[in-house]
Amino acid sequence: MSKPTDLVQGTLDLLILKSIALGPMHGWAIAQRIRQVSKDVLQVNQGALYPALHRLEQQGWIEAEWGDSENNRRAKYYSLTKSGKKYLQREQANWERLSAAIGLVLKTV
Amino acid sequence: MRWLRSISNRLRNLFLKDTVEREADQELRFHLEREVAQQISSGMSPEEARRVALLEFGGLEQFKEDCREARGVNRIETLLADLRYGFRTLRKSPGFAIVSVLTLALGIGANTAIFSMVNALLLHPYNFRNLDSLVRVWEDRGIDEGYDARYIAPADADDLRSSNGIFEGLTTYSFQSFGLGTEGDVQPILGCRVSANFFDVLAVTPAAGRLFSAAEEQPGADQVAIVSYGSWQRRFGGDPRLLGKTISLNGRAYTIVGIMPKDFDYPVPVELWVPLALTPAERADRTQLSLSALARLKREVSVSQASVVLAGFSHRLQQEFPKTNAGRRTTLLQLRKELYMFTLSLFLLLQAAAGFVLLLACANLANLVFARMIGRQREIALRAALGASRGRLGQLFLSETLLYSFAAGLVAIAASFASVRALRTSIPVGWTKWVPGWDGIRVDGSVLAFTILAALAVGVFLGLATMLHTSRVEPNKTLKETGTGTVTRTKRRVRSALVVAQVMIALILLVCAGQTIQGFVRLANVYQGFEPDRVLRIEISLPQKVYTDNVKITNFYQQVLRGTASLSGVQHASLVTSPPASNVDNETTFFSIEGQHALKASEMPSADLQVASPDFFDTLKIASVAGRTFSDADSDGAARVALVSRGMASRFWPKGDALGHRIKLGAADSTEPWLTIVGVVGDVRQNWWNPITRPVIYKPFAQSPQRSMTLLARTASNPISYVSAVRNVVRQMDPGIALEGINTLEEEIADSIAIVRIMGILMGIFGLVALALSSIGVYGVLSESVAQRTHEIGIRLALGADPRDLMKLILGQALKLTGIGLAIAVPCAIAISRMMASLIFGVITVDFVILCGFTALLLLVALGAGYLPARRAISVDPVVSLRYE
Repeated sequence: MSKPTDLVQGTLDLLILKSIALGPMHGWAIAQRIRQVSKDVLQVNQGALYPALHRLEQQGWIEAEWGDSENNRRAKYYSLTKSGKKYLQREQANWERLSAAIGLVLKTV
Repeated sequence: MRWLRSISNRLRNLFLKDTVEREADQELRFHLEREVAQQISSGMSPEEARRVALLEFGGLEQFKEDCREARGVNRIETLLADLRYGFRTLRKSPGFAIVSVLTLALGIGANTAIFSMVNALLLHPYNFRNLDSLVRVWEDRGIDEGYDARYIAPADADDLRSSNGIFEGLTTYSFQSFGLGTEGDVQPILGCRVSANFFDVLAVTPAAGRLFSAAEEQPGADQVAIVSYGSWQRRFGGDPRLLGKTISLNGRAYTIVGIMPKDFDYPVPVELWVPLALTPAERADRTQLSLSALARLKREVSVSQASVVLAGFSHRLQQEFPKTNAGRRTTLLQLRKELYMFTLSLFLLLQAAAGFVLLLACANLANLVFARMIGRQREIALRAALGASRGRLGQLFLSETLLYSFAAGLVAIAASFASVRALRTSIPVGWTKWVPGWDGIRVDGSVLAFTILAALAVGVFLGLATMLHTSRVEPNKTLKETGTGTVTRTKRRVRSALVVAQVMIALILLVCAGQTIQGFVRLANVYQGFEPDRVLRIEISLPQKVYTDNVKITNFYQQVLRGTASLSGVQHASLVTSPPASNVDNETTFFSIEGQHALKASEMPSADLQVASPDFFDTLKIASVAGRTFSDADSDGAARVALVSRGMASRFWPKGDALGHRIKLGAADSTEPWLTIVGVVGDVRQNWWNPITRPVIYKPFAQSPQRSMTLLARTASNPISYVSAVRNVVRQMDPGIALEGINTLEEEIADSIAIVRIMGILMGIFGLVALALSSIGVYGVLSESVAQRTHEIGIRLALGADPRDLMKLILGQALKLTGIGLAIAVPCAIAISRMMASLIFGVITVDFVILCGFTALLLLVALGAGYLPARRAISVDPVVSLRYE
């Protein structure tokens, strides 16, 4: 099985972190949110989403809590930890710098 | 905080595995339901919606595995699984497990035992606070004459104490023998006279009572004593009310004011300490270097800074007191380093030997493991084919070898408790009492840590070797092959290299062991110039209070001599102050030669002084070289005479005309009588550790009676059977005299070189183990390679090959490997034995007979190890071996 490249992986992490920055959210909702906000451009495959969530939890950027979902089922809600918030800010700044740079290159060449 | 959360997550994953799995499952199911619900709401039938959602997920199990990996579960879990697997494989082949664990345990255990000695004797010789700031200080003439000659003049020590800024404190001490007890029951004991600040400088406090006060350094006020713990227990039966009691030392009454703690035995294990009370005249003496000095450096002063200050100090004294101090230099040495001089080289050598044994054990085990790996090649290939990565395979083997080495470490620890105790108690107390820290040899925390580290290092080493060995598995090829796996060239080369290394190490160890043992044998014969067999020795010490004058002393001893000599079976009976191998240095004395220039005190020649009765030279069969020996005519009233040793005669009267010259003990203008040299006797080696045979002056006992003498008797049969008869003779004279140090002279000599004997035995054991391990190694590799070639050999034989040629082929391989090993080892062995020769007392020399002998022995062993598998191979019926797979 081929693993996602670092860029893709890092990007997914960023999208997840950003999505739950507003409040706790479960996995399915995160996927929906990313799809809606990106106007169906970014379709997050659950095969990549859940490993990423577990890894982020393992690394301590996010934490999970069981809660009742909107249809009264038990669901695992993810939220940012303190260090996760800082990490998100850092990564977001990095990403903006990188995409701006790439944009510049693409425009001028 | 983040790492804390991470760790707690990891622990949860590990220990609440089921919960975590169930939660993950639940989470996925929730996702699936939402997905299905969404599809249904967009108009799909429930079955269709479910199918689409599941499709989207892909392989559900694969997906779960990905999640697990993301949580980092695998690493720990697989390690545990590997350990379980390793344990199972070990249990399946118990023979292999036992052999490997025992081999390793032997290697690790040997290292642990030796390290326990190193730990106690080199790392923690004394329990003093800040040991590294304690230094010995002494004066010499620019040449350090060794441990036994490090003394300082009392006045110089006083100047040094008051004038410098480098010492926190400086203390002086000197040994003294005492007669303990009152009339009728006097026991000779060793004590130490110490300055009042002695214990402060060492920073020790008494277990009970108090230390000396400065006022007690004054003659007359000095009748107080501090006893050692051992003395308190043995001499005084652990009397709880000992403090304040009075004892009699040399006829004077001393009050016991303190008891030292159990582990305090500085400078050597003495029975008691008394104040060093010097008279004003003694205190002002600059001539005699009579005191030992110990100082504590100030915290900020380094040893090299202190040396510079001391150089300035001795320069000033040289200017100020040229008569006594010309050419005299003050110098210092860390206490720890002074101890190292005795023990460092011995123990480094032993530790190195033990390390070699461990290396051999590792090499052997590596070979065993490799042999097993070849058997497991298909398994490894299969694992690789199923997707196991190299690192994953490596982890599998590493956990297996770690298992052996930890099992071995456990066995080694268990065994070391016994072996360390054996080490500590196997050496006669007579010798070890002079080795500080000997009683501290035990398995403690640092020894255990050492063992665990050694086991871990071995496990990792073996694991890495195995990984190297399996790294180039090509599943495709290996799985296609039928029959046993083949061995690639590189792999065979690795194993051959191991054999070569084993042969190398074995030869080096054997040669070192051989030379140490030879050194020991030579030491046993070092006491030359006399015959120690069938000689009884008994130490006698007369109490000062009863034997007040020379007449009484002479009378007593002459009666004892007469009585002993008249016993049937006693051929000669005599007295001497210090017989050979007493492990104590002779009293030394300055002397002047009549007619020569009066020399400055610091330039006078010195010699050992012995007092002997007429029959002494016959008792020990010491040769008379020129002139005569003593006779009964050399009595108190007769002309004063002396004998000198051959070495002394040839040094001071090189023309061979020593006879008739007169010498005086001390300065030429002193009141001592002149002694006429009436004879020259053979040189006698006094103690094994001193390679120089010192010049000796003998005085007749009748002209110089001493209270403490050793009675020597040459007997017709076993000397010990005469002890009771001699005891009766002494008892008839004076029932209150205690006899000490009763032993045969031969036993005494054997005891005195015990440390070298123990070393010889240990080295011998290491050498034998090395020989055994390396022959097993050579045999193992050869029989393995022959077994692999059984098929080939069968074909050769079937085609009519001469069995003798085959035999030659296999033996040739054995000889090649051994030959390479020996070729590398011989120069190494020579270099190492040169080093040993320079390290150890000059008793060890490079011996080419030993070198050639062991080289030949190893070649023979290799031939033997090759012969067995070769014979087995060619004796097999070709039909059988052709079928053999």
